Amino acid sequence: MQIRLNLIGGFLLSILGTYGNAQSLSVKLTDGEGNPIRDAVIEILLPDEMRSEYQPGADTIVDQLDKEFVPNMSTIVSGNSVSFPNSDDILHHVYSFSPSGSFYIPLYGKGTSEQYSQAFNSVGVIEIGCNLHDWMLAYIYVAETSLSGISDDDGLAILESVPSGTFELRIWHSRLKDNDIAVTHSIEFVDGEQTNLSYTLELKRDRRIRRAPSSNRTRYR
Amino acid sequence: MLAFGSFRSRLSFFLLCLLTPVLGGIFYYVNRNNIEYTEETINSYLELGADVFDFTRAQQAETLQAITNSLTWDFGFRTAFASNDPATLFGASLNVLDRSIGKADMLMIVDLNNNVVIDTSLQGYTQLSGAWLSLVDNADASDEGLAEAIVAIDGDPFQLIALPLYLPRQVAWIIGGFALDQNFVERVKETIVSEVSIIRRSDESDLVVVASTLSAARQQILAEQMAINSLTVASLQRISLEGEEFTTLLRNLFGSPSDELQVLAIIQRSYDENNENVVQFRTLLIEFYAVIIAISLIAVVLLSRSITQPLAKLASAVQKIEEGEYGKPVVVNSQDEIGDLANSVNSMAQGLAEKEKVRDLLGKVVSQQIAEQLLNNPVELGGEEKIVTILFSDIRGFTSFCEGLRPQEVLVELNQVLSSISNIVEKHNGVVDKFQGDAVMALFGAPIHSEFDATNAMLAALEIIDVMEIGDSRLSACIGISTGLVVAGNLGSSNRLNYSVIGDTVNLSARLESLTRLYNVTNIVSEASRDAAPNYAYMELDEVCVAGKRQAIKIFQLLGQSDQIPPEKLTMAAAFAGALKAYRAQNWSLAQRLFSQLAASCDNEALPKVFLERIDDFQINPPAEDWDGVYIFGKK
Repeated sequence: MQIRLNLIGGFLLSILGTYGNAQSLSVKLTDGEGNPIRDAVIEILLPDEMRSEYQPGADTIVDQLDKEFVPNMSTIVSGNSVSFPNSDDILHHVYSFSPSGSFYIPLYGKGTSEQYSQAFNSVGVIEIGCNLHDWMLAYIYVAETSLSGISDDDGLAILESVPSGTFELRIWHSRLKDNDIAVTHSIEFVDGEQTNLSYTLELKRDRRIRRAPSSNRTRYR
Repeated sequence: MLAFGSFRSRLSFFLLCLLTPVLGGIFYYVNRNNIEYTEETINSYLELGADVFDFTRAQQAETLQAITNSLTWDFGFRTAFASNDPATLFGASLNVLDRSIGKADMLMIVDLNNNVVIDTSLQGYTQLSGAWLSLVDNADASDEGLAEAIVAIDGDPFQLIALPLYLPRQVAWIIGGFALDQNFVERVKETIVSEVSIIRRSDESDLVVVASTLSAARQQILAEQMAINSLTVASLQRISLEGEEFTTLLRNLFGSPSDELQVLAIIQRSYDENNENVVQFRTLLIEFYAVIIAISLIAVVLLSRSITQPLAKLASAVQKIEEGEYGKPVVVNSQDEIGDLANSVNSMAQGLAEKEKVRDLLGKVVSQQIAEQLLNNPVELGGEEKIVTILFSDIRGFTSFCEGLRPQEVLVELNQVLSSISNIVEKHNGVVDKFQGDAVMALFGAPIHSEFDATNAMLAALEIIDVMEIGDSRLSACIGISTGLVVAGNLGSSNRLNYSVIGDTVNLSARLESLTRLYNVTNIVSEASRDAAPNYAYMELDEVCVAGKRQAIKIFQLLGQSDQIPPEKLTMAAAFAGALKAYRAQNWSLAQRLFSQLAASCDNEALPKVFLERIDDFQINPPAEDWDGVYIFGKK
C-alpha cells in the first residue's frame, strides 16, 4: 500500500512537473538460478537540482503483528517518519543501530504506538529489530527521492514516472554481498519509451535468526 | 603298557590322566573367555568413555553457546557494539566470563571482515588467521552460522564455538571458548570413571601433559610412553604406569601428526582393576581344582585300600592254603565282588580242608593207591576186568592167642600184626583191599597193573611168612594166592561204595588160604599164580576141586626163590612128587609106602598123612574108574 502511494505520488508530480514526459521503468530481478527476487529496492538517483521535484514523500507505518514487523520492507524519502505501532498484546523493544538512523524505543505496548514515530533524515538502509524477539527484522530504505520501488513476488519492480535523461539506477537487496554498497547502473531514459531492464543479482545466504516454533505456542501473540 | 607297583598308583595315574585334561580344558576356556570378556568390557568402557568425553565437550560447548548467545540479548552490549566501544565490550565480556561458572574461559568478537574487535585471551590478534579463520569460515558456511573447533591458545587446548552477533542482522562473530583443562578432565572422569589426560605435541617441545586425572609421576611416564608409542590414534594400546596396566584410547582433538601442534585426549582404564575379578576367579578356580584333585586322590587311596587290603588278605590266605593251612577264614566286610571272592576263597579253603581230610582218611581207610584212584577219577559204580593176583592172609593161632586178653589188648596186638602185613603188602606195590578180622585181602594189579604183580605177591607172601615166624611163636601166617580175571571197581550203592574186586579168583584165594590148615603148609598158590611167577620154586601139593567149584586145579606150595632153596627141601619135594604120582596111579601100596617114608622123614608129617588117610579110605571105597587123582572138597 505504501509503495503504491509513493508511486502515485511520483506519478502526480511528473504530470505537474516541468521536465517533459514521464517514462515507465520495469526492472526484472532474478537470482543466479533464474528465481525472481522479491523485496529488492530500485531507486533512480537524480541530480541534486531535480530532487526537490520528487520530495517529500509520505510518512509510513511499520506495524508489529504476531511478533513480526509488517511490512518488513519499506521505502521512505529522507525526512519522512515511520511510526512503529504495536498490535500485539505483549511489549516490544524496537531498535536500530544502523548508522543512517540509530534509535530505540524501549518496551512499549498496544495503543501507545503514536508516540513512537521516528524520522529518518539520512539516506541509507535502516535495519530494525526487536530486542526481545530476535527474529523480528525489518528494513527501511531511506531514499533520496520518491523514485524508488520494491520488487514484488515476481521479482518485478516498476517506476511509472521516470523523467527522460540519463540517470543512475541503484539496486539494493538485504542479501547483496555488501548491504551498504548497492549496485548502480547508468540508464538512459528516452522520451515516451518504456524501459525494460532485467538484472541478475548474486545473493548471500539468508542467515538470520529463525523464529523458534515454540514461540507460536504461547497465547501471547 | 605302564607297569605300576600298586593298584593305588595305577588308579591315581588314570584318575590324573582323566582329570588333568578335563580340568585343564575347562580352565583354559573359562580363563580365555574371561580375559576376552574383560578386554571387551574395558574396550567398550573406553569407547563409551571417549563418547562421553565428546558428549561432555559438546554439552559444554552448548552451554558456551547459550552463554555467548545470551550476551547478544543484552541491549547494553548491543549498544556498546553499535557504538564501536571495544573497551566497554571487553569489560562486558569479562563480566560474562565471570558469571559463566567456569563454563566459558574466553570470548572474542570479530567483525565480518575478520578483524578482531576484542579478545579476552589477549593473544594480540588483529586479524583472524589459521584455525581461528577456519572456524569462522566454517560457521559462515553453515546454515545456522555455527561452528566449533579445538584450538590451542598458548599451547593449551580450548574448545571454541563461533556464532553470529545479530544487530538485528549479523554484524559480527562472537567466539566463545573454554579450556580443556584440569577441571574439564576431572568432570569427565566423574562420569566415565576412567583416567582422562590431554596431551600436546608441538614441534618445539616433547609431549606435554596439559591436564590429567593421573598422578604427576604417572603423567610423566605416560608422556614418555606416548612418545615411544608414537601417538597411534587408531587402535587401543596397553600402557604400564608404575606397574599398573592401563588400556588406553586416544582421541585427536587438534591438529594432525604432520602439523606443528597436535592435541590429543587420552582415556585410560586400569586393566589390572578390571582384571581383578578374572584373577580372583582364576585363583578360585585353581583352588577349586586343587581341592577336587586332593579329594579325588584321597578317594582313590581309600578306594584302592578298600580293594587292595582285602586282596592282600586274600592273597595271604591263599598262600596259607597253598601251604596247607585251612584253619583261618578270611574276614572281608564287603558285599561286593571282593566279598564274593573272599567267600569263595573261604569256601574253597573249607572244601580243600575237607578234601584233604577225606584224602587223609581215605589213605588210612583204603590203600594209598586206591585213595588216589578214587580221588583222581570220577567216582561211579562199575569197574573193569583185570588180571589180578589176590593174596589172602590169615593169622593161624590168633584165636587161642586172644584167650585171656582184654579186647583192647587184642585190638592193639591185632593192629600191630595187621599194620606189619599191610606195610609189607604196600612195600611190594600191593593194595590192601580189606581187613576181615585177623585176615587181610591184598590185591596185586589193581587198581594199577604191572607185569610183576604175581612176583610181588610171592615176595610179599614170603616176607609175611618170615615176619610171622620171627614174631610171637604162637602166631603164624597162612596165605592163599591165586591169579585170574576179576572185575575191579567201585562196588556198592551210589551213596556208599568201596573199591574192590570180585570174581572166582577172590573166592579161590580164600579157599586156598583155608586149605593151608589141611595140608599144614604156610601157603597155597594156584596154578595160574605159579605160572605168572616162574622164578620161584613150588612143590605141587594136590589137584583139587575146591568147594563150590567144578573145575579141578593143581595147587602148589611156594618154597622160595628158585636159587635159594636148600637141597634137602628139593629132595623132599621130589620124593613127594613121586609119592603123589603113585597115588594118582592108584598104586595104593606104593603110594602108602612112599607117603609113610615121607611122614617119617620130613618136617611136615601132616601133609603125607592127608594122603595116607585118603589111601586108607580108597582101599575100602575105591574111586570111580575114571578117577584122575582130583580130590573134591565138599564143604567150604
